Amino acid sequence: MRKMLMVTTIGLMAACFAVTTAQAETYKLAISLAITGPTSDAGAPYAKGVEDYVKYANDEKILGDDEIEVLIRDDQYKTDVTKRNFEEFLDEGIPIYLNYSTGSTLALKKDFEEEKIATIPASFHAGNLVDSNYIFLPIQSYSNQVIALSEYVVNNNKGGVPKVAMFIHPSAFGRGPVEDTKGAVEAGLKMDIIEVVEHGKDLDTTATLQRLMSKGVQYIICHTVQSPVAVLLKDAERLGIIASSFGEEGKITFLGAHYTGGNDLIDLAPTASANFYWTTGYTLTSEPGPGTDLQLMIAKKYGRDDKTANSHNYTNGMMVTQVAIETMRRAKAHGKEINKATLYDELNAMNGDNAYDPLTTTGPVTFSKDDHEGVDKLQIYRVTDGVFKSVGEPFIPKYAVKK
Amino acid sequence: MTYFIQLLISGLVVGSIYALSALGFVLIYKSSRVLNIAHGQIIASGAFIAYALTVYAGVPLVISFFLSMAITFFLSMAVERVFLRRLIGEPIISVIMVTIGLMSIIDGVIYLTPFGSTNMSFPKFFPPEPLNLLGATVSWTQVVGVILTAIIIAALSWFFKNSTLGISMRAVSDDQLASMSIGISVPKVFGLAWALAGLTAAAAGGIIGNITGLNFDTLHAFGIIVFPVVILGGLDSIGGAVVAGIIMGLIQQFAAGYLDGNWGLQGTAEVLPYIILLILLLFKPHGLFGTHEIERV
Repeated sequence: MRKMLMVTTIGLMAACFAVTTAQAETYKLAISLAITGPTSDAGAPYAKGVEDYVKYANDEKILGDDEIEVLIRDDQYKTDVTKRNFEEFLDEGIPIYLNYSTGSTLALKKDFEEEKIATIPASFHAGNLVDSNYIFLPIQSYSNQVIALSEYVVNNNKGGVPKVAMFIHPSAFGRGPVEDTKGAVEAGLKMDIIEVVEHGKDLDTTATLQRLMSKGVQYIICHTVQSPVAVLLKDAERLGIIASSFGEEGKITFLGAHYTGGNDLIDLAPTASANFYWTTGYTLTSEPGPGTDLQLMIAKKYGRDDKTANSHNYTNGMMVTQVAIETMRRAKAHGKEINKATLYDELNAMNGDNAYDPLTTTGPVTFSKDDHEGVDKLQIYRVTDGVFKSVGEPFIPKYAVKK
Repeated sequence: MTYFIQLLISGLVVGSIYALSALGFVLIYKSSRVLNIAHGQIIASGAFIAYALTVYAGVPLVISFFLSMAITFFLSMAVERVFLRRLIGEPIISVIMVTIGLMSIIDGVIYLTPFGSTNMSFPKFFPPEPLNLLGATVSWTQVVGVILTAIIIAALSWFFKNSTLGISMRAVSDDQLASMSIGISVPKVFGLAWALAGLTAAAAGGIIGNITGLNFDTLHAFGIIVFPVVILGGLDSIGGAVVAGIIMGLIQQFAAGYLDGNWGLQGTAEVLPYIILLILLLFKPHGLFGTHEIERV
């Protein structure tokens, strides 16, 4: 009798275990990015943000008993490697994909269409959205970031039409916002674009700065990565031409879009970055808030150093993962199977009452069939006492263009 | 006039740093006829070693700077001993391919450290106020860069002209077989050339790192950026590297100051040095001061 009871108990336990095991699913989330190679200063913390948030989601059972397996591959900023990684991820059965660079996003755009897979890149290039149904930018495009900065200049410039120069990366990434900003000027934004400067690997930008000064340029809006901006700011500091207050007469006020700023810029140009104005759609750990608390808690939980924990690229990686996992959670909550089609639908339905607030952004994430730019509100930050501090409230640029 | 003087001084400063960065290429080519493709990675390594000594080991910046030069001196010597010594006598293309491999190895090693993917700056050392020179401003880092370049070039010129080792290196450069026949150790000369190249690369890395900040992509790119300087000066001429460096620096600054942004022109500061390089090479295919070898058949 006792023997029978034991066998029955073991049998029941095994059956329960089998049922539980059968019910718990593992979903794959994949990203290919530059952990080494060019731009790895952004890619490395970004990858850690992705990795940590997946761990956090599993630990917190955001998908209940289901788990997420994250596949992170280094592509060294090489598009051919990204493509190979993407194809391998498809073989793994990923339902959603996180990409990285502008070049690879543009190159793989057709693949995303053919595979009908929703893709969230780290690149906010507006051109990603042209002829694309499956690419979703996490925040406003670079074009709209530059337009937001231009609007800020126009609204805060004292007297006359502001004279602006653009300092851009010599690539599709850098050139993207130029025409859109010119379009905003044609549409009524009252500023003069005096010159568009494509930088090189400069050791000394004195000549450029002096030329722009001689043309009466008051504001330089940068859209590139931190290193060339650091050289520009250091030279401007040496020449004594950095405005100590916004729009100071006879000086230049420097501003920049997402990838020009963050703690990396302060690390490269500690004193010269003072009063640099920067825009992004992410919250920063230099300011208190629920996003900061969440980010620092996750970074601490998974043993990240201070530099990573406070990097806006870490925030960026976390945020795209939050969005991807939220679509999974919603699909599951709606009783749908988690696959490419359902996650795509959930992303497109992320608006109105269904807008998603990941806390790590300056506004809610909203997507629809016609709007694939997530966070519409941009925040202006300024370097004050060695850290970025917000200036005013987040806003949606009036002249923003939708692709 | 101040505008012109500022461009002139900036051009001279940039040119001097180009010359210092180009020296490593010249030193190795001069003795072994090998182009070290991994030179940019050695420049970056020198900068990172100086940073690590200063920030992590607490060594004063000036001492770290000279220590980094000493360390890369011995590291480069070791690289030559381990990877390149056994290739003596092999086709030059094989040796160059090894330096390409070396570039990947150094890249990999640096990416394993925090330096590969982070941005940093040397602690402030020089006075923040710039120097005023005839109305033009120059930072202390730039001034030190120019002085250091001048000292290193003077020292190397003396070394090659007066020291036994330097004369041996010149002899090996002229004719390896004849040098061996009179008892010069060609492998030792190659090792010394690599070591000196490492030393100058670290000096360049320290200066560039102070100007641009420490970003691996930016630093190792200078190995390629100075390549036109090396070609223009003549691959085996130290004086040529200096003259070509200064020419390139001046062209870039004057093009950026007077051409870019005018008459619809953009990017001339980037392109013009290459155009001038091509034109000059049409008339002087061995560069301005390169050895013109005459082969008799």
